[in-house]
Amino acid sequence: MNNNPVLQISDLYVAYGSILALHGVCMEVHKGELVSICGVNGAGKSTVLKAIAGVLKPRSGSIRFKGKEVAGYKPEQLHKMGMALVPEGREIFPSLTVEENLRIGAYGRRLDKSFAADLEDLFNLFPILKERYHQAGGLLSGGEQQMLAIARGLISKPDLLMLDEPSLGLSPALVDQIFELIIELKSRNITILLVEQNAQRALAIADRAYLFANGRVEYSGQPQELMGNVDITSVYLGHNGGDV
Amino acid sequence: MNLSKELSTRQESARHAAAKDYTEYFSFSRKSSTVVILIAILVVIGYFIWWLNIPFIEDIFTAGTITLIMALGFQLFMGNSGVLNWSYVGYVGIGAFASAIFSMTPSFKAMQIPTMYPFLVNLHLPFPVALVAGAMVAMIVAALVAWPLMRLSDAVGAITQFALLIVINVLLSQWSQITNGPRTFTLGGTRLTSLWVALGVAVLVIIIVYYFKESSLGLKLRATRDDRYAARSSGINFVAVRYYAYVVSAFIGGLAGGLYSHYILSITAASFYMGELFMILSMLVIGGSMSVSGAFFGTLFVTLMRQFLRQAENFLTRSGFEASGSTEIVVAVLMIIFLVWQADGITGGEELTWEKIKRRLPNGKKSREKVSKNVKQEEKA
Repeated sequence: MNNNPVLQISDLYVAYGSILALHGVCMEVHKGELVSICGVNGAGKSTVLKAIAGVLKPRSGSIRFKGKEVAGYKPEQLHKMGMALVPEGREIFPSLTVEENLRIGAYGRRLDKSFAADLEDLFNLFPILKERYHQAGGLLSGGEQQMLAIARGLISKPDLLMLDEPSLGLSPALVDQIFELIIELKSRNITILLVEQNAQRALAIADRAYLFANGRVEYSGQPQELMGNVDITSVYLGHNGGDV
Repeated sequence: MNLSKELSTRQESARHAAAKDYTEYFSFSRKSSTVVILIAILVVIGYFIWWLNIPFIEDIFTAGTITLIMALGFQLFMGNSGVLNWSYVGYVGIGAFASAIFSMTPSFKAMQIPTMYPFLVNLHLPFPVALVAGAMVAMIVAALVAWPLMRLSDAVGAITQFALLIVINVLLSQWSQITNGPRTFTLGGTRLTSLWVALGVAVLVIIIVYYFKESSLGLKLRATRDDRYAARSSGINFVAVRYYAYVVSAFIGGLAGGLYSHYILSITAASFYMGELFMILSMLVIGGSMSVSGAFFGTLFVTLMRQFLRQAENFLTRSGFEASGSTEIVVAVLMIIFLVWQADGITGGEELTWEKIKRRLPNGKKSREKVSKNVKQEEKA
């Protein structure tokens, strides 16, 4: 494994007003890895993603992205540096067409031959988006919107793709599709940081995992160990083995 | 190093060669036909009216075209950013006064406005230059004041823009060294904004406004309208994109103002206040504020309706029924009706494209039915 992680967080504190949401979180993500963050509601999973992407300003601690200290950077700067966040709840731009949503993901890139070629590549992964190419994003179904949100994150060819609860609110069949897609992305050597409530499924595909509880990293390591540990599964994952 | 570079360029070109056909991504009938259609409609109407040669109708058309330019500039910022820009009509006023001062002869200025600053009295530019210079003044004022206002959205944004409109209005109506104060400002000379001048500028502005919307900057601005937080995490600085759009919008407003003052030939600060603003706002609401086509057809619709209502109002008043002011009431009620039942206006916030017209044509319908029949047959088989 590469010695220089793509992302390295140490001692990160984040607060909403006076309420601390993260208490000294440390974690790292290496190139080509799929890292899962698991934990119950309110454990600080989404908060850590938002802090990394610059949406929330950390109170203290360090975030290094590709070897550079980026704590306190603005989201737009981080996006240009190669970080893509697919936010929770499928935040696409409803009045823009699929094409325009994708152009936004590529930082307002012009529609030219080489962009069309990139789109063609992308549509191999998301055939449905090609059919919907000229439609407004708001007219797509929930699953299609999630596909569009992920595609929008991918089009900028990010060094780090962060997915916040991609399976939230989708039917089981669509959840399967999303996870298949994540596996496909992983096989293409894309570095992914995945936040999921559906711990069993997220752990099944992850290279490494962090377990969050009450704003702290409670456990980190191999997903198999995590799943095998009865105490942890019963206390933090709320279940002893089966699919949620 | 070089080898890998060459390899990657080769791969790139191979990818392009392998890529069959990207024309569907660049479809003209979807992308650029709107501009052609709108300009064609405007020019055909303009030519017909010029050919008719009835001064009354020509006047309505010229005034309507100036209003169209005003509405388009308003749409450029408000439609794409979603921020209600009350101050816009103030920039129209600045452009109107500035270009008038630039184009008037020194002797006439000295006579009309004895209080005017001497350096302004001696300034004299030909009409086209004065028009652009007036618009530049409006743009510079916007560029100087707008930056801190651009981070404000929704109600707060609208209220600050409203306050700014009041500031501009008071300046225009009280700064007697420039605008003759609250008294009427008369330009003198002949009417320089002819039908063809207004039409020519309108064609140019349609092109600017449409391609602004489709440009990278316009696209980013529309993304901030939908969701400014998601736009930020997609790398968009919403303050900057709003600022540029606001400044361009002020320029177009100033241009419309200059055309207006050289058309009507006597202006006061009150000509650029709530009444005007309400008029272009109603056009945008009724037409659909999110599209250039909406501003276009909204202006067409409201202008025609106002003329019709005005005639009806005059007729009623003459026949003994006091009806003055009813035009404004009807327009306002219509605006409310649209906001309640059809908030995206008659265009639904979409652009009119050749693609859509084709689908409505009888041929298009038939072919669509054929397709659906084929699909059904396939389903059966």
